[in-house]
Formats: sequence, C-alpha cells, structure tokens
Amino acid sequence: MSFALLMRLSLRNILRHRRRNAMLLAAIVVAVGGVTFMNSFIRGFQQDLRDSAVNNLTGHIKVFAPGYRDDPGIERSFYVAGDWRPDVSSGLLEGWAARIRIPAVIMSERETRGVQLVGVDPSQEGISFLGDAFYEGETLADENDKRIFVGQALVDQLDTKVGRRLVIITQGADGRNREAGFRIAGVYDAEGTGLEKAFVFTGRAALQKMLDTREVTEVSIRLTNDGAGSSVRSMLLSYFSGLEVMGWRELEPQIAAMFVFADTAIFIWFAIMMGALVFGLVNSLITAVMERVKEFGMLRAVGMRPGSVIVQVVIESSLLMMSGVALGLVVGWLLCQWMSEGLDLSQWASGVEMVGMRSVVVPRLYGADMMLVAGLSLVLGIVASLYPAWRAVKIKPLEAMRR
Amino acid sequence: MSNPVVEVRGASRVYTEDAVPVHALRDVDLTVQRGEFVSLAGPSGSGKSTLLNVIGGLDRPTSGTVSIDGVCLNDLNDTELADLRLHKIGFVFQSYNLIPVLSARENVEFIMQLQGVGAAERAQRAADILQSLGLETMGDRRPGELSGGQQQRVAVARAIVTEPALLLADEPSANLDSTTTGELLDLLRVLNETRGVTIVAATHDPMVMSYAKRRITLRDGRIENDSTG
Ligand SMILES: Nc1ncnc2c1ncn2[C@@H]1O[C@H](COP(=O)(O)OP(=O)(O)OP(=O)(O)O)[C@@H](O)[C@H]1O
Ligand SMILES: [Mg+2]
Repeated sequence: MSFALLMRLSLRNILRHRRRNAMLLAAIVVAVGGVTFMNSFIRGFQQDLRDSAVNNLTGHIKVFAPGYRDDPGIERSFYVAGDWRPDVSSGLLEGWAARIRIPAVIMSERETRGVQLVGVDPSQEGISFLGDAFYEGETLADENDKRIFVGQALVDQLDTKVGRRLVIITQGADGRNREAGFRIAGVYDAEGTGLEKAFVFTGRAALQKMLDTREVTEVSIRLTNDGAGSSVRSMLLSYFSGLEVMGWRELEPQIAAMFVFADTAIFIWFAIMMGALVFGLVNSLITAVMERVKEFGMLRAVGMRPGSVIVQVVIESSLLMMSGVALGLVVGWLLCQWMSEGLDLSQWASGVEMVGMRSVVVPRLYGADMMLVAGLSLVLGIVASLYPAWRAVKIKPLEAMRR
Repeated sequence: MSNPVVEVRGASRVYTEDAVPVHALRDVDLTVQRGEFVSLAGPSGSGKSTLLNVIGGLDRPTSGTVSIDGVCLNDLNDTELADLRLHKIGFVFQSYNLIPVLSARENVEFIMQLQGVGAAERAQRAADILQSLGLETMGDRRPGELSGGQQQRVAVARAIVTEPALLLADEPSANLDSTTTGELLDLLRVLNETRGVTIVAATHDPMVMSYAKRRITLRDGRIENDSTG
C-alpha cells in the first residue's frame, strides 16, 4: 500500500474542508503556543529560583561544621588553608569562597537590627550576588577591609548612609561579646530582595582578627553545571572529613520543592490545554469520517485494505497536529521574544523576594521542552485519531452501493 | 485455466436484522465463464444487488459458496477479500464511484496505485484508457466538475484499466440519459468483445439487457430465467 497515496488523500481531504480544519488548526496553535509560552515562564521562574538560591551565598555546594545550621556561630568553625582550592576540573568550577557568617546586632543612633555579619574575601565573591550588585559608595577593597558593605533596605531602616559609622555586637571565638564601630564603605542594591536586610559584609581577615580566630564557618562552591554536583560533593566529603557537605537542594528545601513542582507544573499545563484540545480533535475527526461514509465504503469496495483506512485517518490527524504544533511552537517562540524583557511580578512578589529572587521573570525557552511538547502532541494526535479510525474501519464496503 | 470466472453454489442470503427474516437470495447456482456479458434483471427487491455483492465479496452468503477465478471467497478474511477485489474485480456502482478529492486521472490511477504499479506505467495506462474513452481532456477535472455520464465513464476506465478478471456493475445507467447510456454500453461491449472482459451488470434498464449476451432474471431471490443469445 502506497503511503504517498494515503498521504495525498489525507492532505486533500484536509484541504477540502478548509474552514473547519483552519479552526481546528487555530485551536492547536493556540494550545501549543500557549503551553510553550507558559512553559517558558515556568522555566524562567524555576531558573530564577535556583539562581537566586545559589546566588544568595549558598552556591551549589556548601561545607560547614556539624551543628552550624541549627546554631550558627563562630564556635562552629573550621580551618581552611590559605592556598586551598577545590580539586575540581576548571571547566566545572565557577568559583569558591570561604566565609565567616555569624549572627550579629547592628545599631545606628536610632535603630537596632539583627543581621548576619559575613566576613568575605571580595575577590572570591564573584560567585554570589555580591559580585554584580549595584552599589553606592565603595565596595570592600580586600579581606583586610575593616569597613562594612550594607544593603539599601537596612540603611533605610537604620536611617543612615555611606560614610557613617554603625556599631556591631557579636560573639568572639572565646565566647565573649565583641563590640566595634564600622564605617559604611558602600550600600548595595539587591533589587529589593530580602537579602538587603539580612546580610552585612566586611573583610574576612579583619573579622577574624576581631573575633580572635583563623577559621571560617563556611566554604561555598559554585559549579558551571548543576549536574556535576554529586562527584564534587564526594570529593569535598573526603577532604573535609567530619564536616557537613550539602547541596543547594538540601540547604534551600523550599526552593528545591518549588523547583520540582515547576517540572510538574509544565505537565499539568500541557495536560489541561491539550486535554481540552483532544476532545475537539476527536469530534472533528469523527465528523470528517461520518461525512465520508460512502467514500470509505467505496474505497473498501474497490480493494483498499481495512488497515489502510485506519492509516488514512491517523495520517489526517497527524498532519493537522504536526502543522499545528509547528505553527504553535513558532507562535510560542514569538511570544517569548516579545516578552524577552520579562514579566514584572513585583505586585505579587513579596513572597519570592524573601529568598532573594528578583521580581521580574524572564521567559526561557528550552529545546528539550519544545521537543517534549511536540512529541507529546503528536502522540496525542495519533491517540485521538484511533477512535475515529475505528469508526471508519467499521464502515462496510456495501455502504457505497446503498443510496 | 478452465476455471469459470464466477461460480456460485447454493448461495442464500437471509437478512435477519428485522423481526421478519428477509430471504434476499435463495439457493442460487450460477456459473459465469470468461468473456461473458451477463445482465441481471428482475423486479425491485428480487436480489440483484445482493447477488452482485456476494459475487464481489462485499457481502457474505448465509449459506452456499462463491468462487472467483477458482478462489473460494468463504475462506478469506476481510483483508484477503479486499486484496481479491483489488486484483480481480472491477466495480462500477450506480453512483458515488469516484474519490471526490482526486482528479479524473488520479481516480483512474488510484487502483493501479493500490496495486503498486509504478508511476510511469500508471501514467501511460491512464492516459491510454482516458484517450480510448474520449476523456483525454477531462483528466485534470475533479468528479464534481464532470457530468454524470463522464463520471460513469471515468468509473469504467478506473475499473478496467487494471484488466480485472471480472467487471461488476450495479445499475450503471441509473443516473444517465439514454444517449449517455448508449455510449456507456457501447464501451462495455467493446471491452467485452475486444479485450475479453467478463461483465456482470445488474439492471432494470432494457437497453442494458439488450447489450448483454446472456440475460438472467431474478425473482424473490431465485433465478427465474437464464437465456443466452
Ligand atoms: N442490508 C439489508 N438489510 C435488510 N434487508 C436487506 C438489506 N439489503 C437488502 N435487503 C433486502 O433484500 C432483498 C433484496 O434486495 P436487493 O437490494 O438485492 O434487491 P434488488 O434486486 O437489487 O432491488 P433494486 O432493483 O431495488 O435495487 C430486498 O427485499 C431488500 O429489502
Ligand atoms: Mg439493487
């Protein structure tokens, strides 16, 4: 049986009912385009979630002393040699940073706030949001810098500004409180996220001196590829024996859960949009079969095999689906281009700001997602045609002879 | 080679869909030899179409056997029956013979295409047959753009272009005026006489009967009369 012949019959029959099939095609295009567009936002949201989780000082993998997560403090610290660097091939490693991060109280003349005081080596912080944050004033010069780098929101709350001094109280390695004045070197802008209120940065060596320690409380490692995490983890575990090594998914379980949910959301969206479409498609195909009862009967009478009748209906559905999917993907892509500036969710975004996420979601289109949508749609197109094809094959050749 | 083209033995067809069973065929015996031109006549409801359908493998007899070219149809499944129709039988129906989305030429090529005949040979044979039926200018038209008579001629062209063992026609002239019917019958006669195509045609039309060499009359599902000459 000639496939080309069946193809031609199917194609001509589609073209024969232009209006009906154009409507159906439009429905497929809207559904596929909508799913693609929606997916790109879910993906954008998902990537933002992860990036912000990784950016907000977490990194892909983090090392700390046991117990630090429950009770952070300088007494749960560890030593990292000055010349240490992660034993990871440079293609996988984006960067790493050793930090001291401890709870502290910060005071201006007017207000007092609880914050996390973070001692950093500024040259290592390309891996966190600090590396490319907008700021006013100056950044920290090096790890010996005794000044502090403060978030805009905190500066507003403390009613202070660049160049002023703030007092910080925290606990030293000996368990006794330290109190010192710090000059504000600069004010960073983390795009309105909760990070601005949480983190106050200063030079790591300077902070170590104040606390009387040579140790750090965390090492954060950023990889170029999320997937390489597990091998790097085992390397770190063997090097830092006795310490805890955790990935961002464990460190930010809520974000990890939302990340997983986003994968599911893509399928849910697909199921809703395409599910509705399939009923329309089945309906249209049944109409197309029933109005051709005589034709199918005649085709059977002159010797077309039952299997070929099925194939003909399946091809008809697949052709519609394929052209709809192709156009739909183009439409989805165009919508993404149009929205490439991103969608500003700031009105609804107070929740996501807490995790350090920006409130503008930029659509991200992945080839794999588009292939998935295309593949599943084609499968649906075939599945939807099975019942109409069965109706067509049940038509007796004799129907052609009857009036 | 000595097989008759059609051999019907004790064929009955009872329709039981309604409360009262309808005996469309009752114990029919019929043998048609190669090269015969047979007309099936009889009043409406006498079983002409049913007999034709049973011969063509479109319907199965309730009892009895049908053989085409020595092949017993009772033993075949639907796909095998389809293949047998494709390769051995040409059909011309009263109406709705042609595929509306294909041009006349594509319709004529259609069965050859189902049979797997190559494109060049197909085109050649289609052109020849359209030429000999005076349809050479109609090749690119779709059925909807042809008159009833032209459609029937295209249907005949399609049915005979593959040189089937048997041509079955059910009221081929029912939608035609007498002039066109004459042309169609001339064509069938030429095919029968020059190419030896075996023809069985069910009809009410005396003109069709007059062209047939053997005339069979049915009544109440039985063969009432069978005369040659
Ligand atoms: N599918 C069917 N279901 C029930 N009865 C049927 C069916 N097809 C045919 N019959 C009956 O079988 C009998 C023979 O019908 P058939 O169509 O063979 O007659 P015919 O000689 O071709 O008549 P006509 O000249 O009107 O075409 C009729 O009584 C008809 O009502
Ligand atoms: Mg009839």
